[in-house]
Amino acid sequence: MLEVSGLRKVYEGRRVEALREVTFQVDAGELVCVIGPSGCGKTTLLRCVAGLLPPTAGSVKVAGAAVTGPPPRMAVVFQEYGRSLFPWMTVRQNVELPLKEKRMPAGRRGELVAGSLAAVGLADVADAHPWQLSGGMQQRVAIARAVAYEPQVLLMDEPFAAVDAQTRADLEDLVLALWRDTGVTTLFVTHDIDEAVYLGQRVIVLSGSPTVVMEDLKIDLPPERDQLTTRSLPRFADLRGHLYAQIQRARGDR
Amino acid sequence: MNGTGRAVTRVLTVAGVPALLVIVWQLYSAASQNFYVPAPGRVAQAFAETWFSERILDDVLPSLARLLAGYALAVAAGVGAGVAIGLSPRLRAAAEPVLEFFRAIPPPVLVPLIMLLAGIGDGMKVLVIASGCVWPILLNTVEGVRALDEVLSDTCRMYGVRGLSRLRHLVLRGASPQIMAGLRQALSIGIILMVISEMFASSSGLGFTIVLFQRGFQIAEMWSGILLLGLLGYVLALLFRRLERRVLSWHSGRGVGRA
Amino acid sequence: MRRGIGSRIGYGAAGLGGLLVVMEAASRLGPVDERFLPPASEILGALAAELATAELWIALGETMWGWALGLAIAFCAAVAAGMVIGSVPGLRAATHSTVEFLRPIPSVALIPLATLLFGASLGSTLLLVVYAAFWQVLIQVLYGVADVDAVAHDTARSYGLSAWSRIRHLVWPTALPYVMTGLRLAAAVAFILAITAELVIGSPGLGLSIQAAQSAGAVTTMYALVVLAGLVGVAVNVGVRALERRVLAWHPSVRGEAPV
Repeated sequence: MLEVSGLRKVYEGRRVEALREVTFQVDAGELVCVIGPSGCGKTTLLRCVAGLLPPTAGSVKVAGAAVTGPPPRMAVVFQEYGRSLFPWMTVRQNVELPLKEKRMPAGRRGELVAGSLAAVGLADVADAHPWQLSGGMQQRVAIARAVAYEPQVLLMDEPFAAVDAQTRADLEDLVLALWRDTGVTTLFVTHDIDEAVYLGQRVIVLSGSPTVVMEDLKIDLPPERDQLTTRSLPRFADLRGHLYAQIQRARGDR
Repeated sequence: MNGTGRAVTRVLTVAGVPALLVIVWQLYSAASQNFYVPAPGRVAQAFAETWFSERILDDVLPSLARLLAGYALAVAAGVGAGVAIGLSPRLRAAAEPVLEFFRAIPPPVLVPLIMLLAGIGDGMKVLVIASGCVWPILLNTVEGVRALDEVLSDTCRMYGVRGLSRLRHLVLRGASPQIMAGLRQALSIGIILMVISEMFASSSGLGFTIVLFQRGFQIAEMWSGILLLGLLGYVLALLFRRLERRVLSWHSGRGVGRA
Repeated sequence: MRRGIGSRIGYGAAGLGGLLVVMEAASRLGPVDERFLPPASEILGALAAELATAELWIALGETMWGWALGLAIAFCAAVAAGMVIGSVPGLRAATHSTVEFLRPIPSVALIPLATLLFGASLGSTLLLVVYAAFWQVLIQVLYGVADVDAVAHDTARSYGLSAWSRIRHLVWPTALPYVMTGLRLAAAVAFILAITAELVIGSPGLGLSIQAAQSAGAVTTMYALVVLAGLVGVAVNVGVRALERRVLAWHPSVRGEAPV
């Protein structure tokens, strides 16, 4: 579904090589996490995949079609929830706007908006403005907007980096539940090793800058995940320890 | 404190100082016999006689209409050009010094310039008002559009919000706090230019009439004109604040939410 | 970064140059009558010629004197009034309606009064400049005084600071950024009103020179003087902004250090 091959990005002017050679793929319906040491170009990678940033070399393909700008059936959840929602619109309007742009008939639109808001547990605050909600709830709105858009591919850029631990656990389970229900192909960028192991079917480890793929690790945990039992499995600790060592190595390389 | 007590306090707080000022004015005019300071009662009488007459139709309304026309022109041109310049970093870099210069020209000197180009009719006055009001609107719009949130911009790109819809939902709304600030500055400049353009060369209008009274030493009438201009400025500022509160309700609400 | 600034200057120069070329072409090639819009080169030539005359410098000096004096009077009066109104309990509420009514009154409404009282003299300029600039500063001082932290206020009281030292060490430093904002706004407004008084009432200064050039039909000179007025306006803006930066550079709110 998503093919990234030989992706390279050099920022002109600053002459910084953010990505050297990144290649991986994500199959339809997979949930893949991307981790790497801080400053390794995770966000650059995500912006290239999203079509927001033209790569210097290499290519990104979604369902076989090359990405030159934001693809029509791709949604992104950004880290900065406070800035990705329109403050002058209500929660409902925020979720509805992209659907209006798709010229979707009003009836279907209403169903999708109501359905996705209910799915993230925000049905009763649909008429509030984003700034009236807590950070976790704002990020739920952004997730509802992405889900209602019915994307083929969902990108998430460290979406829970700025919320507290309890909220974070809730939101992780929300993402898993939505992914299971919709089967949407998901690329989840994070700097949190535990989160990557808990959520992903696979974890892609990026090296320190200039960035290449260090490892493409299959997470062989049972498909049903649970905050308590999954995290206390011995295998979870193994994977976590392995990835931790990898990240340390990536850091040392610099 | 009971309800009436609170109401009395409130009335005293709001009206106490103004009442005191009127009393001082009354005492001063009675004691000094200063020809230029007529008693408040005399001014109030002149106000009623002068302005509750056909002058409202002949002088006040045409003045306001010209103000409105010039202001509307300035808003359209200022916001339009401001959005275009704000969205293009190169255009902005090229236009910035020119705009800084035009903004720094004291608007009243435009009156003789534009008289040259457009004569002394209504067109001249509307043009004077428009060309004075346009700069603060333009510069603030550029600033607002430049400072649009990048994440929000990316969000629009990802979800296919582009063209007119992007302009409406992202650019104009996002820049609206700065645009409103520009509109507020422009309003006071507009009133100044409305008065001055009429004082310069005109046979009607508020500014013209007030100068006429002054030249004819109709002092109470002149004061009533000053008072009317003051009221006008006050009411327009009030209306503007209402509009601003409506347009920016999301903005002020957010500020409170964060504090 | 440096390259960015360099190219910005380049673009800015290109923008200014472009404007001059368009103006020049507009009148030389005919879309606009040369009598109404002389070519840019002639305007700049006239400006240079004007700058060589003593009259111009005297007029400019008179304008700037009216501006500076009026601004200074308004500034001192507004700061004093703002400190008193903001510091005496209840006075803020009692004067609120009066301030909110007087503030939006356009100062040009006072032109006839100024004409009667002072005629075509510095007094007229001062009346308009002071009235217009006063409110700009007063409002900012009131914001600034209201911004003083209540806890800091209580602390200062409990340590027995006198009213004067409270104002000097607590209220004034807190309000200073606001005061500077007020000064910046007032400086621009004061310049506009100084020119207005000269233009409309005929007080001596640059505005009167523009008016005289217009009456004499000296179009090119008039344009040159308008350009000069714009340049002085830019200088006023730049100067006040620089002053603001300088005054606030060592201000605790900017340096991020707590006073005391």
